[in-house]
Amino acid sequence: MIGSELLLALLLLVNLGAALVRAAQGPTAADRMLAALLFGSTGVGILVLLAVIQQTPALIDVALTLALLAAISGIAFAQRAWSQAVLGRRRGTASKTEDGDAA
Amino acid sequence: MIRGKSDVKIMIGCLLRRTVGFALVWWVATEGNFTAWPLAVIAVAVTVAVSLRLLPPGSTPGLSLSGMAGFVGYFFRQSIRGGFQVSRLALQRQLQLRPAILELPVTLPTGLPRLLLIATLGLMPGTLGVRLEDDLLYLHVLDTGLPVVEETAQLSGHIARMLGVNR
Amino acid sequence: MLLDLASNLLLLAGGFFFCAGTVGLLRFPDVYTRLHALAKADNLGLGCLLAGLALKADSLVQAIKLLAIWPLVLVASAVVGYAIAHRADQLGITPWQRDDR
Repeated sequence: MIGSELLLALLLLVNLGAALVRAAQGPTAADRMLAALLFGSTGVGILVLLAVIQQTPALIDVALTLALLAAISGIAFAQRAWSQAVLGRRRGTASKTEDGDAA
Repeated sequence: MIRGKSDVKIMIGCLLRRTVGFALVWWVATEGNFTAWPLAVIAVAVTVAVSLRLLPPGSTPGLSLSGMAGFVGYFFRQSIRGGFQVSRLALQRQLQLRPAILELPVTLPTGLPRLLLIATLGLMPGTLGVRLEDDLLYLHVLDTGLPVVEETAQLSGHIARMLGVNR
Repeated sequence: MLLDLASNLLLLAGGFFFCAGTVGLLRFPDVYTRLHALAKADNLGLGCLLAGLALKADSLVQAIKLLAIWPLVLVASAVVGYAIAHRADQLGITPWQRDDR
């Protein structure tokens, strides 16, 4: 029972490692930003598997919180940084972030 | 702001729905453990109060529940298709990618509809929103042979229906 | 019994999609195509993984809690994916093109 989950967790860890090395190599700065995506999906997956393997349900809360923070910071970033180009309406915040990536 | 009888009705309905909704969130987050129920009562009350302040009832007039169900269903279906498709492309012995940047006109109004469109496109099969400029959407596609124009139009349609705006 | 089988199949599928995403990341030629691979394959992998674990959960509410993680990660990936693509475009990174025309 636990064996399959442990193997899967190890597999994800290997995936995460390989992907991180690849992302770190670049060659562009944008490639290195891919690490942010990796921790969102693979990182959360490993946490949830660990919760089952170690029978520590609290790790599910950690995964949930991580996902929640990622989603909220993503939305907050979108509201602030793209207010001018995409959100049009919010002129007040748009003037502060002229450059789309100021935040 | 509350004037007539109908406004009171809307307010009470909104209050009830949000209280039940946040209580459900508490139920899920604590895995059905209500030993700390006084805390739950306080937390739900405060959350409802804050949500009424930030998002007063009636501030999202066009939002349609059936439209939301349609969008969510379409989104899940398509993101599963997208995952299958990109996995197939990645595991092929010879890479069959024919990437390109397409320019598509966007008719959705500015604001949330456009943001939703360009963000969700990244999880749809073969598409990735890159830039939005003067009502033109710059879309990176994995394979120029994919029906991305039609699917982007479908996605826009679902977003428009959910938010009650014109596409 | 059947539930266990379905759960294990879903876990296996999850592992497969995570691997496919990593293979795509290693093989695809530029940052845009790599973004496609990571965003789509890894999210489907996580969905399968969470669904598989939810089937094995002790209670219904724990299953719901596990499944609630997925939409949150989807939202985060969608926004972060667009942020990276947009930044790459601003940095002037031109997309890779097949040169067999």
